[in-house]
Amino acid sequence: MMDFSGAVALALPEIILAVGALILLMVGAFGGDKSTGLVSVGSGGVLIAGAVAAAYGPLGSTFNGGFVADNAAAFAKVFIYGFSAVGVLLGDRWLKRMAASKFEFPVLIVIAALGMGMMASAGDLISLYIGVELQSLALYVLCAFRRDDAKASEAGLKYFVLGALSSGLLLYGASLIYGFAGSTKFVDIAAAVQAGAGQGAIFGVVFLICGLAFKVSAAPFHMWTPDVYEGAPTPVVAFVAAAPKMAAMVLFARALLQGFPGAVGQWQQVLVVVAALSMGWGALAGLRQRNLKRLLAYSSVTNIGYALLGIAAGTDQGVTAMLVFMVLYMIDTTGLFACLLALNRDGKPMETLADFAGLAKEKPGLALCITGLSFSVMGIPPFAGFWAKFYVFKAAIAAGLWPIAVFGLVASVVAAFYYLRIIKTMWFDPSPGRTDASPLDARGVAVAAALFSCGLVVLALNPLDTVAKLAAAAFHLS
Amino acid sequence: MNLQAIAFYVLSVITVVSALGVVSARNPVHSVLYLILSFFTAAGLFVLLGAEFLAMLLIVVYVGAVAVLFLFVVMMLDVDFGSLREGFVRYLPIGGVVAAVLVVEMVLVATAVGEQGAAKGSGAPDILLDAPNTEQIGRVLYTDYIYFFQAAGMVLLVAMIGAIVLTLRHRPGVKRQSVMDQVARTPAKGMRIVQVKTGEGISE
Amino acid sequence: MIGLSHYLTVAAILFTIGVFGIFVNRKNVIIIMMSIELILLAVNINLVAFSAYLHDVSGQIFAMFVLTVAAAEAAVGLAILVTFFRNRGDIAVDDASMMKG
Repeated sequence: MMDFSGAVALALPEIILAVGALILLMVGAFGGDKSTGLVSVGSGGVLIAGAVAAAYGPLGSTFNGGFVADNAAAFAKVFIYGFSAVGVLLGDRWLKRMAASKFEFPVLIVIAALGMGMMASAGDLISLYIGVELQSLALYVLCAFRRDDAKASEAGLKYFVLGALSSGLLLYGASLIYGFAGSTKFVDIAAAVQAGAGQGAIFGVVFLICGLAFKVSAAPFHMWTPDVYEGAPTPVVAFVAAAPKMAAMVLFARALLQGFPGAVGQWQQVLVVVAALSMGWGALAGLRQRNLKRLLAYSSVTNIGYALLGIAAGTDQGVTAMLVFMVLYMIDTTGLFACLLALNRDGKPMETLADFAGLAKEKPGLALCITGLSFSVMGIPPFAGFWAKFYVFKAAIAAGLWPIAVFGLVASVVAAFYYLRIIKTMWFDPSPGRTDASPLDARGVAVAAALFSCGLVVLALNPLDTVAKLAAAAFHLS
Repeated sequence: MNLQAIAFYVLSVITVVSALGVVSARNPVHSVLYLILSFFTAAGLFVLLGAEFLAMLLIVVYVGAVAVLFLFVVMMLDVDFGSLREGFVRYLPIGGVVAAVLVVEMVLVATAVGEQGAAKGSGAPDILLDAPNTEQIGRVLYTDYIYFFQAAGMVLLVAMIGAIVLTLRHRPGVKRQSVMDQVARTPAKGMRIVQVKTGEGISE
Repeated sequence: MIGLSHYLTVAAILFTIGVFGIFVNRKNVIIIMMSIELILLAVNINLVAFSAYLHDVSGQIFAMFVLTVAAAEAAVGLAILVTFFRNRGDIAVDDASMMKG
């Protein structure tokens, strides 16, 4: 056991977030709703401070193995906290426009980010569970945050019920793994799996995979995703669609690669099936959607399938690919939701495909952003999404999973169709009426994301690759 | 059959039967009461396993807080629960078949893990270890597991914020007692002495 | 003689009842939440039984955190349910869905 100051130094990002959330809560509680602006700015500051602390903090493992601060955790935390800060910005401005500002909103995002950081650093089944629950509970509340909105509270309720069920599955798996291995620490579990037949623990792993698949919305556990994306407020969805996915994917990788490196053969099959189902189902079901938020939900199901393929490869290269993929995907999806947030007609958000008709004449800038981001998600070179998929497919083929990589390629061609339909509607259909002026914050995020995905990515790819390789090396794979 | 075995079978049968009651009762109030019974007997199973502290915690947290919260919500919501049972009979046969298959599989899996896992060949739980159960937990909870303990505190904080932000409503125009104002009240503020002239009265 | 697998069997049965309860009571969110509590009870029995037979207290610590977090989860869930009820005057989720599932 490390001494106290060493433990504090390792967990500094978490401590900054936890203490920051408590202080901001006090500021909000005593300052009332007038202090919301201050709390929001403070939340952004706390998140950025956490990201800096994670990036430059020491490496090691502490709290009896329950907390791991390695390069993978640091990599995930920097992006999680960064995207959470974007979530605070979008959410705060949006609530202000709705005249429904509440100081609890940014505080809940900070606490959700804290939970995600714990997930990324989990070295133990208990910290895995508590991290998952901390972020989930905060996200349920954020989804239902507009309590007078019937759709939002229905989305929150559905998210809660399915999320709680998935936690139950995850826990049952965790209890079987504990019973099999005699310990809750990933290191000890790995030793036990190595020593004995993996057969007993594999049942636990299957439950664990099911539970985590719910959290990343991989098929066939994705049924909450379209409803929650459609019902929940758009800035909340922009947050839910990015940072928690990153945290859950890193947790997925850590639990499987550090806890069960001796049983790769068994969990690889399960993961490949989940990945294939996600890619196929997301692509096909997306074709029927007329609501853009639902469509993006199915798109996220497909994309999580690609990311899972990286983990299924079970190699260093695969994890690197997954990390690069998740970062590029987070930028794309945040940008697309920021576009949706920026578009309103007569005070109502534009969400259906028909609303987008003729957008190119109304708002050429945003239409260009959506087009660019769509090309990127489709995977057209040289946009970001292409590189993301390229990495994953390369890793999958190197690991001998080429049939599934080919399947993924076909699925991405099918999925490309629904993005092409949006682009066609925007550029060639007549407009039904004028759109409202778009808010600066959402437009700014959209333009930044589009600029990155459609150009800067070429410059950023090299450093990103280097850092992701460093992060993946933390798992000590071949 | 020794006394412990009898206790185990009685407690587990009651736990399972009351759990069935939870999911099949017509009246949700009965469901909550079955849930309480189920948790109570499960606490008995914990005592049999030598986990007294958790048994008491289960009763305090679940029966004392969670079940009462459920009861509160069931009674607060004015819902026709009869209509919510539609589909129960429809799903019952297929649900029963799936559940029967599932239970066989789960029992097989669980026993396999129990017999092959780390607990293989382990005897009955040794209740009289070097320290009582509560002390064993207390020794590690605030040292080895301090991180989880603090994190669980954050989870409870989120639950508190969430419940308040979702359900608390500040109604305007409600008259509230302000103790500060009442205490700070002086005769000078509270009353006025007026000389009333005969035959004129006071008009205000 | 009562062994570990006896306890695991009880837990497995409780888990199945919980899943079954969710399946047959699709409309009644309150019963669904109680079924989830049953699933968590099954998990706790598993953890405590393993902990007792492994002579290792960490399983009981895990069960304790499961209990704590489950209580928090119930509070949040019921709060969301109350807001849903205030908006809709009903708690049926499946049928009256405003969104096509």
